[in-house]
This record gives sequence, structure tokens and C-alpha cells, in this order.
Amino acid sequence: MTLLSIRDLDKSFAGARALGGASLEVRAGEVHALMGENGAGKSTLIKILAGVQKPDAGVIEIEGAPVTIASPADALRLGLRFIHQELSVVPHLSVAENIFLGRDYPRRWGVMIDWDGLNRRAAAVLADLGVAHIQPARKMARLSVGDQMLVKIAAAFQDASVEGGMPARLYVMDEPTAALSAEESQRLFAVIRQLRTAGAGIIYVSHRLDEVMDLADRLTVLRDGSTVATRDIAGLQKLEVIELMIGRRFAEGYPPRLNPVQDEVALGVEHLSTAYLQDVSFEVRKGEILGLAGLEGAGQSEVIRAIVGADGGHDGAISLAGRSVKIDEPVSAWAKGLAFLPRERRQEGLVASASIAGNVSLPHLDDLLRFGLVLDRKAEAEQAVDLGRKVKLKANGPRQKVRELSGGNQQKVVFARAIAGEPEVLLLDEPTRGVDVGARYDIHALLRELTAEGKAVVLASSDLPELVYMADRVIVFRDGKVATTVSTDGLDQAGLAALCFGAPTAPTA
Amino acid sequence: MASALKTYGTLIGFVLVVLFFWIEIPDTFMTAKNWLNISQQVSMLAVVAFTMTVVMVMGDFDLSVGSMASLAGIVAALAFRDGHGVWVGVALALVIGLLGGLLNGALVAYVGILPFVATLGTLTVYSGLAFLVSGGKTIFGRDIPTAFSGFARSGLRLGESVSLPSLTIVAALVLLIVWFVLEQTTFGRRLYAIGGNKEAARLAGIRVRRLRFLAFGLSGFGAAAAGLMYASRVASANPTQGSGLMLDAIAAVFLGMTMSEEGEPHVLATLVGVLILGVLGNGLTQMSIDSYVREVLIGSIIVLAVAASSIGKAKG
Repeated sequence: MTLLSIRDLDKSFAGARALGGASLEVRAGEVHALMGENGAGKSTLIKILAGVQKPDAGVIEIEGAPVTIASPADALRLGLRFIHQELSVVPHLSVAENIFLGRDYPRRWGVMIDWDGLNRRAAAVLADLGVAHIQPARKMARLSVGDQMLVKIAAAFQDASVEGGMPARLYVMDEPTAALSAEESQRLFAVIRQLRTAGAGIIYVSHRLDEVMDLADRLTVLRDGSTVATRDIAGLQKLEVIELMIGRRFAEGYPPRLNPVQDEVALGVEHLSTAYLQDVSFEVRKGEILGLAGLEGAGQSEVIRAIVGADGGHDGAISLAGRSVKIDEPVSAWAKGLAFLPRERRQEGLVASASIAGNVSLPHLDDLLRFGLVLDRKAEAEQAVDLGRKVKLKANGPRQKVRELSGGNQQKVVFARAIAGEPEVLLLDEPTRGVDVGARYDIHALLRELTAEGKAVVLASSDLPELVYMADRVIVFRDGKVATTVSTDGLDQAGLAALCFGAPTAPTA
Repeated sequence: MASALKTYGTLIGFVLVVLFFWIEIPDTFMTAKNWLNISQQVSMLAVVAFTMTVVMVMGDFDLSVGSMASLAGIVAALAFRDGHGVWVGVALALVIGLLGGLLNGALVAYVGILPFVATLGTLTVYSGLAFLVSGGKTIFGRDIPTAFSGFARSGLRLGESVSLPSLTIVAALVLLIVWFVLEQTTFGRRLYAIGGNKEAARLAGIRVRRLRFLAFGLSGFGAAAAGLMYASRVASANPTQGSGLMLDAIAAVFLGMTMSEEGEPHVLATLVGVLILGVLGNGLTQMSIDSYVREVLIGSIIVLAVAASSIGKAKG
């Protein structure tokens, strides 16, 4: 029986198409995986289902009846439940309170909360899920992330009898295992299988292909906002899935390599370890682009952040041009000729209230002093204009506020900042994420120019074609460790994807 | 039009307040003498508000400035009573202010306590200390040297019977210094970057903790200076005389912030905020209106100004 049917969903944001002809059909009693690269439209689809965003066009039917989901409350009423990767739990409250949050607690004499009753009800819900090891009276904050996730699921389960609404019948899980240990994941899978047996439909989003192949009954692949295919998992090969996800793309659209990599080592990292990373070692040569790949959170970002000291100290040694350096906060990284481009442009990159020039100059203010004291605003503006030209920034002038710029131009401002101090090494974390095609090409061309000048670039990216076509070598991370290092000679996206998803070596094409 | 009203609304409000008093008190309000008088009346508030601006540029607060002003006045007066010279007392008070401010800064920047909580705590501590060292008594009369109390009565003669009060000159100097630091130096630029986005500033190589530490030091220093000015003006020191400064200073900065497109504090805008508060106080006093009315008015004006500037910004 078809539980949910989505047909030809369209959605654009400010002219950029996020979904165009996305369709999905979920049956009662199946786990249906929703797959696709970053930006393929999975999140948009889920947000529309959740009533967070409205589609421009398309039809959503539940059990054959067309429905409109205008708000999260509508989704709840229709029997849809969402479990996100980011937990929205209240850490100071107990497990039982988190399960019954926003609902009427059982009472005594009409006023007092019946804590025993509440805990008993919570215990019953948890026992139903087969997770009786979680104690209802414990503070949420004292649970492991995995157990917190299970409590959230229990809460979603518990919403079954929303007043005047349908019981829960469709669960949407967005990367639920991203923060879970293997054991916790297994526990979650047991719960999911139980939900399936009970006749619920589950939409399961995950980048972990193995997990999906193991758990799901069918999968639907989105690419560039459209549904590419829906297949039964039985008999399906992993490589087929990857091919469906990335399609057949061409090397066109990437600027050609200019100079060969030089012999001198620009950046050396030895036995780098943090709370998350384990014994990471590598070298980057002058003129080289070293790609960092892996699944979301496998360690690519963490390596870059650890090198610049963004999260405090680390074990291991870092050397620049053969000389050992100590970097425990970003200010010393910049001072030693390392430039850093953080992952989240708005939260970590830009001061939105400041001008283009003010953002570019931020790490380099000491170079813009007059009389050792006064900020030379003229030199600052000239610097911004010069570098703006170099990164092909489109703006009204150096004093324009960065909040008025498009995403691509904002990213170019962060780039201008990175190259302003003539750094020897650039550490870039997702430099083209959320950037339009034109700006993306400009950024790639700039990387070629920089390496031709002998700069070394470390490029962490979840965009596999970018790594394959731009990097000279790629390090693949898995669970905070270096899984393998490959040359991009003869490597294609499917091969790199297979490595990220856990294959021991790149399959030969 | 709407955006002009948002940016200039506070300035227009100021002009309207001035016009109102000019009409209501035609003889004395719009005179050089009265304006010089106003400038002296607001000079202490001005100094605190200017240095408070430094802290608020980073998005922080300093609630302890009022009790620091009291403590500084007491410390200087006690030094005088013990026979030390004017400069010793003044220097001692300023050092106490700087150290007290740096303590706030250390709590906020290095220990990681919210500024609201940290300075609420030190507000109480400094106030308690002021009572403790003074025995809760006002120090006045012969204990205060005339060289000290005379400063507030002195001024730069501008003509017959009008002179620019020394306290006004001090406030103007502080204004100039804070303006220079905030608007012309890299230090100021970094503070604004911290206020705009702390995390981005840190990742771009700004020593966020050190700068917050130092900025709170400036705020404490300014508070101590204001406390000295107050003690000089009333030729006495008691452990509560600075207590009204904190709320008015924060109010003045908030009023100024409404004039900025980005909602950032700027010290020249803070000056407008200070003047609004000062003119209201002066005019209402001249009209013999109860001082409680002033409080109601000032509170309403702040809420109105901030509300007007948030309209359109608020979403969802």
C-alpha cells in the first residue's frame, strides 16, 4: 500500500532551483532510502514534507488523498514524524520530560505533576521500543548522544495520539547515525526494523552507503533537484548507486593545471591527534593542491581546524618549509603565513556588519598601521580593491557592507582575506560550498594561479568532482583517521566516492 | 523615508526635546550659560557612557561602573584624609578603577562568565568595598583639599560670567580619546569585529580574549575618572554617589545605537544619547517638574527609540 506519494515537486530559492521534478513514493512497512550528493535537494524535500517550506508546484498525497502541509503542526497532524541529525533536546530536563515535552503531564489533584506517573509512562514507551536500559528519570544531558537520539525517537513515537490527528505512520530520519557509535547505530536499526514491522513507512537519509544497503528496502536517488531513479535494494550494486548519485559529469568546467608540483615541502603534519583525530600525518609540497575527502565529519575539517589551532591544542608536530612551528590559536597561524578559510561562511568567516575592506584586512591589520597606531584606511581600501580584482569580486566598492553581497561574492571576500598576507600555505574548508557556478570557476582559477606561484593548498571538500579535478593527491579520512591517500591521476568520481564510502581501494575503471 | 526615520529618529527626537524646552522656558533654556551648565551636569555620565561604549562595541556590558565610581571617590577621599596629596589620591583611584575593570575583563574573557553576571557580581563587591573602607560615612569638609574640589569649580573663561567648566573639558578629552581609539586605531577595528562576529574574528586571527580583557579595563578606568569628577564637584565622597551612573550610561549607549544602521555603538552617537538625557534632566528641573517624571520619560524614550529602530528589522 502506498503511504506517501510525492510527485513533481518544484522549489526555487531566489532564482536558484533546489527541486525540479522531485518524486518519491513510500509504501507502508518499508524503509525507503533517499540518496543524493550534497545539494541534490534532499533537505529541501524533507523541509517541504515537514511544513517548514512551501513547494512552488507539485502534489503530495498521503494514502491517496492530496494534502497541504503548511506548517510543522500540519505535518504532525498528518502522522509524519521527523528525526534530525541535530538533536533538539532539552538537556536539563529528564528523559521522561523530553518524551512528553509540550504535552500535558499527568497530574495529581489537578495541579501537581504526577512525576511517578510520568516516569512510568515514559518507561512503558521506552520498553516498547526495546530500549528499556534508558532510565526515564535521568537528566537528558547525562545520556550518550545515541541514547538521546533514541529518546527523541521515543518522543516521536509517543506523539502517536496528537489530538484530532493521525497516529504516527511515516518517519523521516535525516542522517540519524551521524553522531552514533556502531553499537548505538545497531540499536537504532533494531528500532527502525520494529517500526517497519508495525507497518510504518520510513524515509531514511544517509551518506553511509553500507548502512543504507543493509537497512533499506528501496531507494530513491535525487540529483540536481530531480528524481533520477527508484530501485529495489535487493540485487543493487553499491557502484550503481554512486553512479546514479553523481551522474556522468565531465572534466569541463575546471581550469587546466598550470605548473607541476615542486619538490620542497611547504607544510608538514606529523602524528596530529586531537579528541577527534588519530595520528594524522601528511606533507604538502609547494605548488600542490592536497585534497581532503571523506564522509561528513570523517575528519577533513577537523584536520584543518587543528592545524590553525581553532579548537585549542593538539598533539603532534607541524612544520612550515621544514621548520617546526607551534600554533595553538588562529592568530599565530596567520602570523606564520598560514591562511585559513573556515567552513561556515556566515558563522565563522564574515563579519556581516563590516565592509568588504574591513573583512579583508582583519588578520592583517598590523600591516596597515600609520605611526604604529592609526589604521591607514586608504591603504586598507586599496588592498581590498587590489585583491577584489584578483578574486574577481563584484561589488560597489571597498566600503560596501558584505551582507549586501551574494554568497559567491561573500566567499570571494573571505578568499581575498586569505591571500592578502601572501601566505605560503592556504587551508581551505569547503571553499565552494553554496557558491554559484561562475564564482566557483573563478575560485578554481584562482587556486591554479596560487599554486603556479608556488603556494601550497589544502582543500577539504565534499564535492568529489572538485577534488578529482583540482587536487593533485587526495587523502581519504574515515572516523578521524587517514584511510588512504591516492593520486588523482586516473581517479574518477566513482572511484573516490567508493573510497569515501569505505572501499579499501579505488575500483579500477 | 522609513529608513531615514529609523536612522535619524533619535536625532530628530533630540531636536524636538530641545525645541520643546526652548518654547516652554524661553528666557533661560537656550542660553550659552545654560548649555555650559548642561555640559557640566552630564560630564560624569558622559565619561562613563563613552568608556561603556568601548565595552558595548564588543556586545558586552559593564554593570559595575556605578559602584566603581563610588569606590574611586571614596579611595581618593580616604587618601586625602590620610594626608596624601591630590595627585596621589587621584592616581590611586584611577589605578583601582583600572584594576577593577581588568578583574571584570578577566572574569569575562578568561574565566568565561557572562558579562551580565560577572559585572553584577563585581558591582556588589565594589559597592561593598566602598562601604567597608569608608565605614559607610560620607567624607567631606576639611578632609577634601580645596585643590581637589576647586577643580570642578574652575574653568576656561570664555567671556564675562561664562566659562567652559573643567569637567566639560575632561569629558571632551575622554570623548576625543575614545573616538580616536574606536574609530581610528586597529584596536577599535578589532573590537567592532568582535562585536560583529566573535567566532569569525577569532578565526581571522584576533585575540578576542585579550581585547575583551583590556576593554573592560578601560571601562573601569573611565568609571573611576567619573567618580573623581563627581567627588570633586560635590567636594565629598560617599559610598553610593555613583550608583545612578550605570543605568543612565547604558541608556545613553542604547539611544546612540539606534542611530547606527548596523545597530553598533559609536561614541559620537553615545554623545547624542548623553545629551538627550542631560537636556531632559536640565529642562524638567527648570520647569520644576518632579524628578520621578524624568525617570518615567527617560525610560519611555529609550523603549520608544529602540522599538522604532527595531521595526522592520524584526522578522518572524
